[in-house]
This record gives sequence, structure tokens and C-alpha cells, in this order.
Amino acid sequence: MIEIRGLHKSFGSLEVLKGVDLTLSKGKVLVIIGPSGSGKTTLLRCFNLLEVPDKGSLRLGDNSFEFHEHAKIPQKDILALRQNTGMVFQSFNLFPHMTALENVMEGQITVQKKSKDDARKRAEALLAKVGLADKADSYPHKLSGGQQQRVAIARAMAIEPEVLLFDEPTSALDPELVGEVLKVMKQLATEGMTMAIVTHEMKFAADVADHILLMDGGRIIEQGTPDEVLKNPRTARAIQFLNHLNGKAEDSSE
Amino acid sequence: MTDRQIQILLDSFWPLLKAGVLYTIPLTLITFALGLTLAIVTALVRLSSLKILKLIADFYVWVIRGTPLLVQLFIIFYGLPSVGITLDVYTSAVIGLSLSVGAYCSEIVRAAILSVQKGQWEAAFSLGMSRMQALRRIILPQAARVSVPPLGNAFISLVKDTSLVAIITFVDMFKKAQFIAAATYEPMIIYCEVAVIYLAFSTVLSVLQNYVEKRLERFTAT
Ligand SMILES: Nc1ncnc2c1ncn2[C@@H]1O[C@H](COP(=O)(O)OP(=O)(O)OP(=O)(O)O)[C@@H](O)[C@H]1O
Ligand SMILES: [Mg+2]
Repeated sequence: MIEIRGLHKSFGSLEVLKGVDLTLSKGKVLVIIGPSGSGKTTLLRCFNLLEVPDKGSLRLGDNSFEFHEHAKIPQKDILALRQNTGMVFQSFNLFPHMTALENVMEGQITVQKKSKDDARKRAEALLAKVGLADKADSYPHKLSGGQQQRVAIARAMAIEPEVLLFDEPTSALDPELVGEVLKVMKQLATEGMTMAIVTHEMKFAADVADHILLMDGGRIIEQGTPDEVLKNPRTARAIQFLNHLNGKAEDSSE
Repeated sequence: MTDRQIQILLDSFWPLLKAGVLYTIPLTLITFALGLTLAIVTALVRLSSLKILKLIADFYVWVIRGTPLLVQLFIIFYGLPSVGITLDVYTSAVIGLSLSVGAYCSEIVRAAILSVQKGQWEAAFSLGMSRMQALRRIILPQAARVSVPPLGNAFISLVKDTSLVAIITFVDMFKKAQFIAAATYEPMIIYCEVAVIYLAFSTVLSVLQNYVEKRLERFTAT
């Protein structure tokens, strides 16, 4: 359903993506891991063109794009693509001037042009699904980080995207709030939602991922099932990175 | 104070207040509404990538902020007729003051828009919103909150700045005070009286400003 070929992206003279290929089929969960600065966020942001690649191609359902140095992508194609993707950010980015319910209604009303009643019904159902039916009328600053992130997930799902993109959705959370967000994400995975997730939560990754990508220096250096990538990495760089993560995990459990 | 002075004080109160309510306040409201509209448009143009319009907007803000309002009013009212553009005193006053408000407030609006976190734009874009939709629904409401205190201050300054139009013969509250002062030979009493009325206007506005700020605080982090 998502197909990315030969993706390149530079910021000025810094080449961040150096030719990335990947395929994500409907109903599958893709987890992207890798050291800081390896280009995970940039890659994920190329999925919904928050970053426009310099070279390569991207296809998501009926939306296809070819990127070239000077070819400008029509704005209406970008908007169409974004209506088929939902994104959950590390820092939640809820709209602070709207209640939880209004946050979830916003895309439906402004983008999908649904009636307020229809939007409210769907928003209420989604808030219930993420366990926040009773917080519908709360403003974001009254909610805990975990609750805010669950509202953000409901907001992203509200426009009925074909794929949900998560960029380190639990990294900004206090440790005791991580579980409630992962639980919601896991539930979505079981229900067959297509997802691409950047995360450092290895246990979660091993648990829900159908496919794991390990990135380093703007390239995919290892990919496969969780077992293949996490248990039997082939490259020295991957082994080093995974050991480093395990080391960190052991440190924090002491 | 003599009985005569007290009588003058009382007699002049209603005419002054009337001039204030009929001219100073409407002039303030109209020029602020026009100026604020101009300010928002100017701020948006300066934040956009429309090269030519941006140059024009930059030039406008540069000129208006770099020259005295009084000189601008003189150019509009006394200067323009000599190049064939004759405007009545009301139009001149409204144009002069609006241009001034527009330039100063565009800086306020611009700073407020820039103060909204980048993540808010991205969240809006990720839902499929266009730039205009994101601005209208997500960014401007948040920028409005940030800009209420400085815009409130600009509004209160404007109430006082309207007195400058007296010099281009606009009969506002201050011009009325000048007439009465000249007729009664009591400048001290009359000008203090008109000062007190200006003070009352700005005080009411400050209270109003506080109220609006409190209302807007309901969605901000504590
Ligand atoms: N908008 C930008 N302008 C300039 N450089 C950028 C920009 N965004 C990212 N970079 C750079 O690109 C590189 C890859 O960044 P990216 O955020 O994709 O890494 P990441 O794998 O997500 O890292 P982390 O784990 O720290 O989030 C980094 O060196 C970063 O500094
Ligand atoms: Mg990142």
C-alpha cells in the first residue's frame, strides 16, 4: 500500500536520506529504529510530505509522486496525500485552544467538511476508544501527557487515514504513562490499522511489528521480522546499536 | 476655585463628553478596526513568500514607523490637495490614524504568529489542512491570545493619539476643549478636565482589556 523507492533528502549540504526503499502493506505494522540522527524522523515525515524528498518516488494508495531536484509538487496532491495519512508527534501538538473533543472534530470539519453532528459522533466514539470519553470537554493543558497523546491518536484517526505515522510517541512521556499509550497503539495494530512507528521501545517493537527497519546514516542497514533484526542482526553496526540499547535498558532497570 | 470656575467646569463637561462620545470614540473604533485589518494583512504578507507584496509591506511599515504621525496627517490633509487629492478632514483623520495603527500593530501580529509553535502548523498540515485553513483555524486563534495585551495597549494609545487630529481642524474632544478654553480664558481648568475624561476612557478600556485577557486564559497552561 505504501511504496518508497530511492528516496533522497538533504538539508543544505547535509544528506540525511541516502536512498531508502521500503514497502508497507495494508494492515501491517512497520517499526523504524536506529541511532539519533540516522534520519528516522525525516523518513517518516516524507510519508506525508511534511518534508519533500529531493529524489525518488512515493506511492500511497492512489497517490503517487516522483521527486526531482526542480519539480515542484502540486499543493493539491500534497493535501490529498495528507488526507490519507494521520500523524502522531513526539510532543503531541494538540490544539491548545480546543477541547479534546474539538481537537478530534477539527480535521473532520475543516478538511473533510463533515457536519458538526457527524464529526461529534465520530469524535466521541474515538475518544471512548482511547479511553477518554470522560475527558471530551477538557482542554489539553488539563490532561496528562499520556492522555494528551491518546487524544492526539484519536485526532489522527478521525480523518480515516489509510496509514498512521508515529514519531517517538512515548519519548516525551513520564515512564509510568508510556504503557497507556502503547496499549492503545497495540489495540489499533490488532484491529488491522496500517502503521509506521519510530520508537525506542524495543519490547513493544518486538511485540507489534510485522517488519522492522534499522536505519543508520540515512540508509536502511538491516530489515526483516523482529526476530531477524533484533535477535539475529547481521551487520556489525546493527549489533553495536542493539547492544547499546540493551545496555541502556539494563542500566535503567538497576 | 471661584464659583465662576466651577460653573465653567460644570458647563463644559457635557459638551466635552458629547464630543468625546460622538467623535473621539467612533474615530478610535473605526480606525482601530481598519488598522487592525491592515495590520493582519500586512503581517501575513510579510510572513509569506510573495516577493513584490512583501517589499511593499516592508516599505509601508518602515515609512509609517519612521515618521511622526503628525507629519503624516499634515501630508494627507494639507499636502495631498496640491497634487489634486482633496480629502475632507474626517477621511484624512481616518486614513492617517489607520495607516499608523496598521503599521505598528502589524509588528505585534507578526510576532504573535511567529510565537505559535511550529508543531501547531505541522499538526494542522498532517490533518490535510491548507496554509489558509491552518492559519484561520489553528494559528490565528492562538496568535490572537498572545497579541491581546499588546493590541490592548495599542488601542489605549490610539484613544489618546486621536487628539492629534485636532491640529488638522477635526473637531474631536480635544479641539472642543481648545474652543472652550479660548472662549472662557480658563485653559488650566478645561485642559485638566479633558485630561480627566481621556483618563476615564483609557481606564474603562484597561478594565475591558483585563477582562478579555482573563477570558482567553481559560485554555492556556498554568
Ligand atoms: N529541518 C532540518 N534542517 C536541517 N537539518 C535537519 C532538519 N531536520 C533534521 N535535520 C538533520 O538531519 C539529521 C537526521 O535527523 P532526523 O531527525 O531525521 O534523525 P532521527 O533519526 O529522527 O534522530 P532522533 O532519534 O534524534 O530523533 C540530523 O543530523 C538532523 O540534525
Ligand atoms: Mg527523530
